[in-house]
Amino acid sequence: MSDHAHPSHGDDAPMAVTLQSTRFGELQIPEEAVLDFPSGLIGLGGRTFALLARSDESAFVWLHSMDDPDLAIPVTNPWRFFEDYAVELGDDEAERLGIEDPSEAVVYVTIRSAAALEDFCANLRAPILVVGNTGHQVINQAPVAPVRARLFSSLDEEPSRAA
Amino acid sequence: MLIITRRPGEKIMVGDDVVVEVIEVSGSSVRIGIAAPKSIPVYREEIWTAVQAENRAAAASDAAQLPEDVPTPSKKS
Repeated sequence: MSDHAHPSHGDDAPMAVTLQSTRFGELQIPEEAVLDFPSGLIGLGGRTFALLARSDESAFVWLHSMDDPDLAIPVTNPWRFFEDYAVELGDDEAERLGIEDPSEAVVYVTIRSAAALEDFCANLRAPILVVGNTGHQVINQAPVAPVRARLFSSLDEEPSRAA
Repeated sequence: MLIITRRPGEKIMVGDDVVVEVIEVSGSSVRIGIAAPKSIPVYREEIWTAVQAENRAAAASDAAQLPEDVPTPSKKS
């Protein structure tokens, strides 16, 4: 049995936990996919979350609370949109996460959706770092890391890509 | 709010585990040292407030607004 087994129907099937969602209804989550956030999300709290994706190729993934059916935040891989993005942690922060370098974590940034794609924003200042089964929202010490960065701004700058 | 007068080098205990020390006073700036357990993150208030506001806005995102097929910005040369 691997640590990250896909759900199976054998006798040794991994334990599933139920996630209630106002957005997506009732979902069964493999227990090993549940992430512990010891300090919650900054200013929002929450203690356990799961990442929900429609497929492996989905650009946007939902970080969904296991405890609050209404609390979910879309997140994405920042390098999909910001190829020069950098995450720098203070020594105390790295120690809190139990890592020496941000490259040891899986990094997500939160997304603010909008009616128009041009108005979608990512928070590059406060990324979410997942280390093992533990998640932390941290303050990025990199010099350029706006709280609101437009995801699709480069689309505006390149008329050739306009429909 | 509790208001305490302290001089540089003097400290304040918040509970048993958090120590706040006035390091230096210079003009209108005060340098403060904070020693807290690893489990307690420490933030500048304006950053905490900005991130909280952004988290709330992100949590208000509408699933129907998220595109399935995302246009990826072309790489800059």
